[in-house]
Order: sequence, then C-alpha cells, then structure tokens
Amino acid sequence: MPVDTPSPPAPPAGPQTTPQEQGGVAVLDRPESDRPWVTLVWNDPVNLMSYVTWVFQTHFGYTRSKAEKLMMDVHTVGRAVVSTGTREKMEADTEAMHGYGLWATFQKDD
Amino acid sequence: MAHAFRRQGERLVGSFDADEIAVVVHVLRLTRDFVAPERPETGDPFLDLVAGLGDEVDPTEPSDPALRRLLPPASRDDDEQAAEFRRLTEHGLRQRKASTLATAIAALEAAAPPRLELDLGQGRALAVALTDARLILGERLGLRTDEDSERLHHELEAALAGETELDPALAQKMAYYDFLSWVQESVTTALMGH
Repeated sequence: MPVDTPSPPAPPAGPQTTPQEQGGVAVLDRPESDRPWVTLVWNDPVNLMSYVTWVFQTHFGYTRSKAEKLMMDVHTVGRAVVSTGTREKMEADTEAMHGYGLWATFQKDD
Repeated sequence: MAHAFRRQGERLVGSFDADEIAVVVHVLRLTRDFVAPERPETGDPFLDLVAGLGDEVDPTEPSDPALRRLLPPASRDDDEQAAEFRRLTEHGLRQRKASTLATAIAALEAAAPPRLELDLGQGRALAVALTDARLILGERLGLRTDEDSERLHHELEAALAGETELDPALAQKMAYYDFLSWVQESVTTALMGH
C-alpha cells in the first residue's frame, strides 16, 4: 500500500460486536496453504561456477551479483533457496533447473 | 589447438580443429542417445502430448546413476512427491534435453573449422548440452563430491609428471572431461559477456 495515501476518516462507532463471544476459532498461525514453497539447488562437483551463475541469471532474470551470491551459497553451504512462491511455480522452476542439469528440489518453506 | 569463444555482438566466435569439433560431436551424440525418451515420438504432436501425460512413464528412479543424476528426484525426503514429479515431467525433460543436444550437434556439424561461429541460441544449446555430457562423464569418473574432483585431478597431475601410472581408459575419460569443461567454460563466459 502506498504510504502517502491519506487515512480514511474513522467509521462512526456502532454497536459493539465481540467475535470472541461467537464461539469462533482464533487462527494464530498462518494456514498451511499460505506457507510458501521454495526451490532449492544443491551443490555438485560437475557444474561450473560460471554456468550456475548464468543459469540463475537466464532463468530467473536475477542480476549478476544476486546470481553470483546464490551460486556461492550453493557452492559453499551445499544448497541455496533460489526461488519462493506457489507450489506450481516451484515445480516449474525445479523442472527448468533439471533441464539445465542442476539438481533442484522443491518443498514447503521451513 | 582450440581458442576460446569470444562474443562479437550477437555471435560467439571460437576456433577449433576439425578433430576437436569431432570429439565434442561424438560425446554429444552419445549423450543424446543416452537421454532421449525410451518411447519414440509418434510424429503426431497431440498423441505425443497425451502420451506424455499418461502413466506409461515409470515413476521409479532410473537404475543407471548417470541417468538418475540427469533426471534427479525433486525431493530428498518425500518419495511420493518425487515419484509424482517424475511421472509428470520425465518424458518432457528427456525430449527437451534430446532436442537441445540435437541443436548443439547441428551447430557444430555446420562449422567450417577452424572457425566455429554460433548464434546466441546455438551457444545456449551448446552450454546446456555440455552440462548433460559432463554429468554423465563425471558420474562414470566417480565424481560425487568436490573432494572427488580434486583427488582425481591430483592423480592426473601425478601421472602427467611421471610419478604414477594412470589407467589409460581413465586418463582418456578425464581428458575428454577436461576438454569439455574448457569448452563449456568458454561458451558460458562468452554468453555472459556483452
């Protein structure tokens, strides 16, 4: 939401309704379906650092510096989250990574 | 003697002997035969599409570790998710890999050595095709970790320095692997250059 939008006037005070008294179930955690999915790329001894960087730039449209940082995370940590979103999108990203010869998996975000 | 690709506008230009191009074509052909779908195309795009959606695809992991690396499980702890993903994607992935390899092979075969000139699409196809070729060779060389890779290169250096003997078949595979790695680094760097 844009920060410069003026606040609407406060609504007139009406009769108080108290949802707590209607026996509703308070949802404290985000529902399961709202938790995003992630695509992970795993390190391997074959793929070249330049190639992995190029794949991240080409497929995701990431800048050179973001692609290089993700590539270094894969290389040094052993894996990196390369994209976040819906399950369908993560499946598509995983399939694309396999097309490029990178080992990707997808899962619910921890 | 090969010279690395350089970017010239929308073209990638390198220099390779006919023998060097023949080596790359040979390995890419083997790779294409290895990865192409086991079920041939019918020639009818609709039937091929429907077939690709069916349950004819075996959702179990390939028994060959190199093929398993080219078509890896999409989950490391959820076998059901990995099997479902494999059922839905394996046929299409194999088709696309075979098609990318065919594009790269055709581009190399059209070259007039020592000049090898590629458009950007051919360059991308070559970079991706070389990945699949190197993944297979890497698996056959037993490269599973970064340490494996370092160890094998130390062995090769020691053999080249005359300190140890290296199995000739292994030395041959490593020579192919290193040359393909050099070509891939060269074409990828040129693709990223402006």
